[in-house]
Amino acid sequence: MIRQLTARLLAPPLVIFMMVAGAAQAETVMRRANDLSFGGSESLDPVSANRFYEVNDLIYSRLIRQDDDGRPAPELAQTWTANDTATEWTLTLQPGVTFHDGSAFDAADVKFTLERIKDPALESPVTDVLGMIEGVDVVDPLTARIRLSTPHAGLPLLLMDYRVRMLPEGAAEPYGIGTGPFKLESYDPESTTILTANDTYWEGAPKLDRIEFTAIPDSEARNQAMLGGQIDYNGLTRDQEPLYVGNPDFIVQSYPAGGWFGIAFQANQPPLDDSRVRKALRIAVDRSEMLALMAGEGNGIVGCDTPVMASDPFRATLDCPQDIAGAKALLAEAGFPDGIDIEVFTADLEPGMVQYAEVYQQQVAKAGIRVKLTLAPSDGYWDDVWMQKNAVTSWGQRPADQILNEAYRTDASWNESHFASAAYDALLDQARATLDIDKARDLYVQAQEILFNEGGTLIAYQENGRRVMSSRVTGIKPQDEDYIRWHLVGMTE
Amino acid sequence: MIAVLLERIGLALVTLLIIAVTVFFALELMPGDACTVHLGRGATDTMLAACRARMGLDQPPLWRFAAWAGDILHGDLGVSMQRERPIVDIVGWRLRNTLILAAVTATIGIPLALGLGVLAGLKPDGPLDMAISGIAIFAMTVPEFISGTLMILVFSVILGWAAGVVTIGYKAPALDLVRASMLPAATLVFILAAHILRMVRASVIEVMQSDFVQMARLKGVPQRRIIWHHVVPNALLPAISVIGLTMAWLLGGVVIVESVFNYPGLGRLAVDAVADQDLPLVQAIALLFGLIYVLTNLGADLLALALNPRLRTRRG
Repeated sequence: MIRQLTARLLAPPLVIFMMVAGAAQAETVMRRANDLSFGGSESLDPVSANRFYEVNDLIYSRLIRQDDDGRPAPELAQTWTANDTATEWTLTLQPGVTFHDGSAFDAADVKFTLERIKDPALESPVTDVLGMIEGVDVVDPLTARIRLSTPHAGLPLLLMDYRVRMLPEGAAEPYGIGTGPFKLESYDPESTTILTANDTYWEGAPKLDRIEFTAIPDSEARNQAMLGGQIDYNGLTRDQEPLYVGNPDFIVQSYPAGGWFGIAFQANQPPLDDSRVRKALRIAVDRSEMLALMAGEGNGIVGCDTPVMASDPFRATLDCPQDIAGAKALLAEAGFPDGIDIEVFTADLEPGMVQYAEVYQQQVAKAGIRVKLTLAPSDGYWDDVWMQKNAVTSWGQRPADQILNEAYRTDASWNESHFASAAYDALLDQARATLDIDKARDLYVQAQEILFNEGGTLIAYQENGRRVMSSRVTGIKPQDEDYIRWHLVGMTE
Repeated sequence: MIAVLLERIGLALVTLLIIAVTVFFALELMPGDACTVHLGRGATDTMLAACRARMGLDQPPLWRFAAWAGDILHGDLGVSMQRERPIVDIVGWRLRNTLILAAVTATIGIPLALGLGVLAGLKPDGPLDMAISGIAIFAMTVPEFISGTLMILVFSVILGWAAGVVTIGYKAPALDLVRASMLPAATLVFILAAHILRMVRASVIEVMQSDFVQMARLKGVPQRRIIWHHVVPNALLPAISVIGLTMAWLLGGVVIVESVFNYPGLGRLAVDAVADQDLPLVQAIALLFGLIYVLTNLGADLLALALNPRLRTRRG
């Protein structure tokens, strides 16, 4: 009797299960995790501060994307040209592109998407990047003219920003219609979000049929799901890497990225208002050793206090080995022949933020720099300590023009080291007005050289990004997510 | 009898009030306020002002506490800062899911613990007792995040019997969650059963040595009848309050187990809410946990009262 009952209760789910399993075999599905970094308020508005970027990357397209060298390449814009003063940019658009709802993509959509970024109600962080866009004129359906309030030769680079993705004219909450290789089927960031292939994608139908995102906020639970084959693609921390390396079921990739820790020394407070002292505090650091200790050898790119992300063509590649003698000489010159006492604040906000300061303390001791480390409370660190004291800081990756303006210009709102250099500001203005990309590069590099010689922020390296994938995944190169061409990504049986 | 009952319920209400006051005013002691904490590094003056106005932070703390407590009595837990939705809508599903997990754990764990406890207590220090008690001590000492991870490693990664972490959403049908809750429930059962069975074992040993069991034995009552009619009922009474305490104590374990297994319950939500610096949600969850704790203990007390007449009169 009981056995019969069990059989009767189990039979329907079993049949359904087998049917689902049978259907799933015919489909290629990639399963991914959503780390819920915005706690369930993930937004499909690409310029929202809470953008659900993993999904937005798949359902929307940019006007301009980067090629493998990080340089601007056509996506929805076929060509772009500027007037002589770089205040007007004319874009010709890819013909025959349609949104997921069937409507055609044209210049009116470009106008809508770019002009809405400045809408104060959106409070979009992208305003800081594209705030100089005054307006967009629709010249004809496939030609858009972008008018700028200040000259900007680097506009194509700014349009590569992963958030500047095209919406259809009039798009509103909850958004979700784009021109990208995948369409939104169901959306629930706190449980499962399902995307299906856009078979009419203008670059060709995607190889994957579906991509599913499951909410797994805990990093260790994501790792377990990856190990157990429940997801096919995941970010990877340094500690988790050994679990996968050498296992034929997984592919581990390390790729240039741009996240960094640094120490922002306050250039407006004596004795740090002397640029020689600031330089001494930075050249006493052994950057290669720091990278190896903090991120692991080969898992990042050493830099000479440049905040620019690793893949940016405008990143300066200077050479700055540890220079104890030089640091001592600079300190003596500045009136500190017996070394100097410096207080550095940090907080246990992100893994590594405390260790960074500890490694620094050890390394510079040889140059007579005596660092007093103060562990500040995590709560209120960004309010009460950062930008006021010499403090460990943490940044995500940003392209040259953006970060150099955002955090080092004299009047920049996030000028965390209170660095003030008229020559530096002038170089940035000049670079923005220089249309020749090689000449512009020279100017951005000169600006970064000023940061190395006079700046207040130590940036020893940019850490690589890491990911792990099922070995069935094909078509993903060891590059940052921005570079992935998702319609070419597949899964073997 | 009624006086005892009222006293227990009154004490529970006072406990709840103390929890509410603590949960609310603990936040007043923090540096900054709910808005500076939530907005963090990107906070601008206008954003802070808007947030404070929205949250009513410009009012004095006592007045805010009165309003908060009053809303709760009307079933309104406030609005989540991160999710920007009423907290009642957010915690409702998670509470259901955690109760499902607790029910599965209790259904497996309690009979298992009682059975093993009696078995171990009947022949103390015998090989069976050594095995059961040994495993119980092991289970009690291994933290949940280790036993949980081991469960995933063994049953999911190596054997492939069960899905390791839960990938179904918080709104999934209850039956799906029951199926998904097997590994997390097993992790909790491990600890729950260990605590209860040690208590049951001790009281079985005690009852076995009592006068009335000796008497029954001398009268020639068969062993089986002694165990079922005299030992088990008397030994289980003290277990009830331990079950109540252990179930309540498991709430702490639920926070960890739910995170390890990605189980979409109140515990995981608590971790998320802390990570999001979403103080109204943290407050609401802390209060809910307090409520569950108090209710479970009250239930165990009342059950013990019903089963044991000796407890019903007030002493002194």
